[in-house]
Amino acid sequence: MPDKTITVRATRFDPERDREPRMQSYEVPFTDESMVVLDALNHVKSHIDGSLSYRWSCRMGICGSCGMMVNGTPKLTCNAFLRDYWPRPVVVQPLNNFPIIRDLVIDMDDFMHKLKSIKPWIIRKQELPLGAGEHRQSNEQIDDFRQFSECINCMLCYAACPVYGLNNEFLGPAATALARRYNLDSRDQGLKERLPVLGEAEGIWECSFVGECSVVCPKGVDPAKAIQQTKLDTTMRFVLPYGNRE
Amino acid sequence: MTTEATAEATTEAPAAPREYSWRMPANWWTRNRHYFLYTVREFTALPLALWLLWLLVEIRRAGDGPARYAPHSSTAFVVFSVVVLAFALYHSYTFLTLAGTILHFKVLDRPVPARLIVLSQFAAWAAASVVVAFVLIWFAHE
Repeated sequence: MPDKTITVRATRFDPERDREPRMQSYEVPFTDESMVVLDALNHVKSHIDGSLSYRWSCRMGICGSCGMMVNGTPKLTCNAFLRDYWPRPVVVQPLNNFPIIRDLVIDMDDFMHKLKSIKPWIIRKQELPLGAGEHRQSNEQIDDFRQFSECINCMLCYAACPVYGLNNEFLGPAATALARRYNLDSRDQGLKERLPVLGEAEGIWECSFVGECSVVCPKGVDPAKAIQQTKLDTTMRFVLPYGNRE
Repeated sequence: MTTEATAEATTEAPAAPREYSWRMPANWWTRNRHYFLYTVREFTALPLALWLLWLLVEIRRAGDGPARYAPHSSTAFVVFSVVVLAFALYHSYTFLTLAGTILHFKVLDRPVPARLIVLSQFAAWAAASVVVAFVLIWFAHE
């Protein structure tokens, strides 16, 4: 065993045996300053306890699979360096606000349902034939929605949102940010198909602007901004004469 | 259908795996500095509403004429008013600061920077405060 180690405390939950989650500690060699929390979990899985369950894939902050609570903060574990925690223990728990399936694996069905409900794709009233050429956009038109398109669906924003934690009917940050991403896209014509979902009581109006969703986003997306601006836009559509026009 | 097949058909489907449901802890708002500040921000509206209700009572009392009106001036009320003023200032500060995130518009096809929007909100707040103070002082001297 190398001299330098770090203690990793991970949530364990076996639905067939445990009534509730428990914590288990592991001593992991801390051999390299570039090690991240996901490396420590992989070491546990490979060398100490193969039954530990968690999600991961790309290991480079793109796929959004490895989101967990690290010392109480939602983080991508592939982007949380052990050097920022050592010599204190690292406490790894499943994302807050979601049901736990096993160990560090949460049930993401609710998020997937919400994501689909806002139709996160370009909607055209009538598709142009391929021969008509591409849909051209200026840099300014892309700048309107670019930051919202950076979302990787990692759900850290949902884990940080106390409104969602108290009421999981709330549409939530990432789904609204993606709805805004498409509503602001000059190629899209699906605003009226998304408005009923955004405008219902559990849609944007449930948000009371805690703002933590934007703080924890690993990709610099500002979902709180998307929600507040959508509130303003939908209000203007209601208040202004001819505001409901496309 | 054979007996074996019938038995197989009537066998109940295996139960879905049990999940552990999320329960929000009652002290969630103490677990993070931002949650705490958010809760304070939302809470400040409550004493402010109480003070405004009191103001309505005072306005009604003042309706009897200046000769029969004496403003409420107990020490407790003065302290309460000062605390409410601090809450109102904090609430206004947070509200106007967030305006930079909420308001978005373009001038000459360029988006107006959030900082400029916030500054304009604070400038409007200061101007409105000066006007209100002037009106109150002017009426007091009449």
